[in-house]
Amino acid sequence: MRRRRRRGRGKSGQFDDRKLIRIALAGNPNSGKTSIFNALTGQRQHIGNYPGVTVEKKSAIITVDGKLVEFIDLPGTYSLSAYSMEEIVSRDFVLNEKPDVIVDILDSTNLERHLYLLLQFQELGVPIVGALNMTDEANAKGIKIDHDQLGMILGIPFVKTVGSTGLGIDLLLDVAIKVAEGELESNKRHLNYGKRVEAAHTAIINTLEMDQVFSARYSQHWMAIKLLEKDQDAIKKISKEHQHFDLVLSVAREWRERLEKQFAEDSEVIIGEQRYAYIHGAIKETVSLSGHSTGIDFTEKIDRIVLNRFLGIPIFLGIMFVIYQLTFSLGNPLADGISIMFTRLSLLLTRILPSGPLQELLTNGVINGVGGVLTFLPIILLLFLGLSFLEDTGYMSRAAFVMDKVFHMFGLHGRSFIPFMISTGCAVPGIMSARVLTNRKDRIVTIMVSPLMMCGAKAPVIAMLVAAFFPNNATLIFWGIWLFGWITAFFIALIFRKTLFKGEQTPFVMELPPYRRPLIKNVILHMWEKSSEYIKKAGTVILAASIIVWFILSYPKAPQNTVKDFGKTDVTYSIGGRLGKSIEPVLKWAGFDWKIGVSLIAGVAAKEVIISTMGILYGIDEDVSSQQSHVDFMVKDKLKSDPNYSPLMAFALMIFIMIYIPCIATLAMVKKELGSWKWSLFQAGYTLLVAFIMAVGIFQMGSLLGFGG
Amino acid sequence: MKWLLNNRNNGLDFNLKTKQTDDWVRHLSELDTESDFKIIKINARGEIRRRLLDIGFIKNQKGRVVRKALLRDPIEIEIKGTRVSLRRSEAEFIDVVEQD
Repeated sequence: MRRRRRRGRGKSGQFDDRKLIRIALAGNPNSGKTSIFNALTGQRQHIGNYPGVTVEKKSAIITVDGKLVEFIDLPGTYSLSAYSMEEIVSRDFVLNEKPDVIVDILDSTNLERHLYLLLQFQELGVPIVGALNMTDEANAKGIKIDHDQLGMILGIPFVKTVGSTGLGIDLLLDVAIKVAEGELESNKRHLNYGKRVEAAHTAIINTLEMDQVFSARYSQHWMAIKLLEKDQDAIKKISKEHQHFDLVLSVAREWRERLEKQFAEDSEVIIGEQRYAYIHGAIKETVSLSGHSTGIDFTEKIDRIVLNRFLGIPIFLGIMFVIYQLTFSLGNPLADGISIMFTRLSLLLTRILPSGPLQELLTNGVINGVGGVLTFLPIILLLFLGLSFLEDTGYMSRAAFVMDKVFHMFGLHGRSFIPFMISTGCAVPGIMSARVLTNRKDRIVTIMVSPLMMCGAKAPVIAMLVAAFFPNNATLIFWGIWLFGWITAFFIALIFRKTLFKGEQTPFVMELPPYRRPLIKNVILHMWEKSSEYIKKAGTVILAASIIVWFILSYPKAPQNTVKDFGKTDVTYSIGGRLGKSIEPVLKWAGFDWKIGVSLIAGVAAKEVIISTMGILYGIDEDVSSQQSHVDFMVKDKLKSDPNYSPLMAFALMIFIMIYIPCIATLAMVKKELGSWKWSLFQAGYTLLVAFIMAVGIFQMGSLLGFGG
Repeated sequence: MKWLLNNRNNGLDFNLKTKQTDDWVRHLSELDTESDFKIIKINARGEIRRRLLDIGFIKNQKGRVVRKALLRDPIEIEIKGTRVSLRRSEAEFIDVVEQD
């Protein structure tokens, strides 16, 4: 066997003088594209976004026999229409960047549907190599594919591969490079759409050719097809860039209408059906099914249980419970460990460095911030372990299937359950997990409401308040508030769907892929990607934000000689503290005083800080009572005995804490996931507004009804 | 209240439908579990029609209703050798005849 040298390289470097071969990887979801990409590139993947959109772009550069080869992973899609961001991104990439070759990954056991995408890539006029993946599964099912014959019919070389074992990967790479370098032919013909469509197609190409600059930029064959399909993005490109756009569009419209009359069918459907007819013909000649059909297959056996009408939901909840438990019961002690390490580090620095602003910046600002970033890491690692397991086995779509009805009633998707559930532990990984939602609108709405859940940081604050003011019904009220988080999330999601994100609901049409064993390598790579991405992108923002919040809550300092007594601490003199005091008149409507105001402002840094800030404001010295539970206990006592506080106020406060501005880490995560601070600001704004209205409503109504005592 | 009507208007033209419907043709959403069917027509428009087309719902295509979720929504369909899940509201767009 030939040995191949591979080496990772950045974009610049000593190879600049050599020609870079660019290979784009395409394929349906569930075609095993990720395995092939991983097998081809290993760990040298670079993750970014396609320009201008938040569609994830993975790429990698390797060297093969001294040649530089770049792989670009296109989003997994079923088609290349203009209805989703992923599809437009794929098309535009091929049209604008003109990769040397596209390697399309196909599931051999399901060739008909996977060739449908391949044909659409072929229409773009770029050389293609087909990877007949999962050959092993096809063999086991008795599916025989004559790949040479198939290649002859479609004009494309095909290679048989097994992504999980790496079989055929070397050959695939070889063939792809040969095609890229022009040693091997590909895409010499395109499919014949039938006499009538071809006539329309030729006529449109003739008009398109009038603008030579435009013709050189885009494949005319593709443009003509898209005009016949009434593709909105293609029409937009023509209107903007073609010299004689009005003529082209009117010719296209004329032919389209003629076709629709002849077929008594919409043009998009006519073309789609022609593609399927062509594929059907090709498959008839090249694919044979031999031997035994095995009755009920493995997938169906499992689905009979997990998709059972009555067992489906309990099984799903059980699986989520296990993942939740694993993530948080294993992750929290690790997170605590990290947190303790950083506390020690900051104590050490306090001793070494002379006291002053620098020491405080390092210990309270930087180390606290870095610690804050890293404490999320174990939870994120474990969470993505669980999620890639669900995704790679194929269970994720089943989860959506069993949960969709309930969620759909509130304008959400069945998969929204996952970010919701994770957010009851922590909203930061919860928002990351919203990637299971492939549709952007679903994802935005889910992300906007996920932080309304009671998370691990709100829970101790609520528990403390419940214990202080409702000692007799503590459990009931606590779980009532927990449920309140879910209900609010559902209703606000519904409101968003009917106002900000109204309009056509995106289709639920979704494949339920056969169950497959996940590859450990893929799962680990996935965990690694997500975690390093979190540290690099979110981590820096969280760190910067924590330093800013620390500054707001510590400066300016209290005058030197002030006795650190009841309410006369650094916090009260700080910007945050002054702000808390100045908004007291407004807070009064909800029954809150300035101490609560300051604590709530501090709570934006992290919700658990609400308790410790109250502790400081009540003059509980943290050094004496370093035990967290002790602070809890003392704050509880102080609150209980404060004559200004009533159970009614406490109730309004709990509701306020549940809803108001998510912590800074969550807001940073939202920015990272949705690509703009606009969404973080919107989230902070709407939650604050809703929280305030509800708290005031509760307090005022309650007072009127005489609960204010 | 406009939003309540929105879903209904998505490409489903009731007048047109009744004209073409005879006794044999039913909506895919009306079929029982385990029924085999052949597609007669897709009445949807826009994205939903395109998605159905892309996943294999075309005229004369045969398929089978595999199962339904708890509240009979969504439903699982076997088509072109794949299992696909559809909401009831989406299956209403698909006219089928039952096969034996």
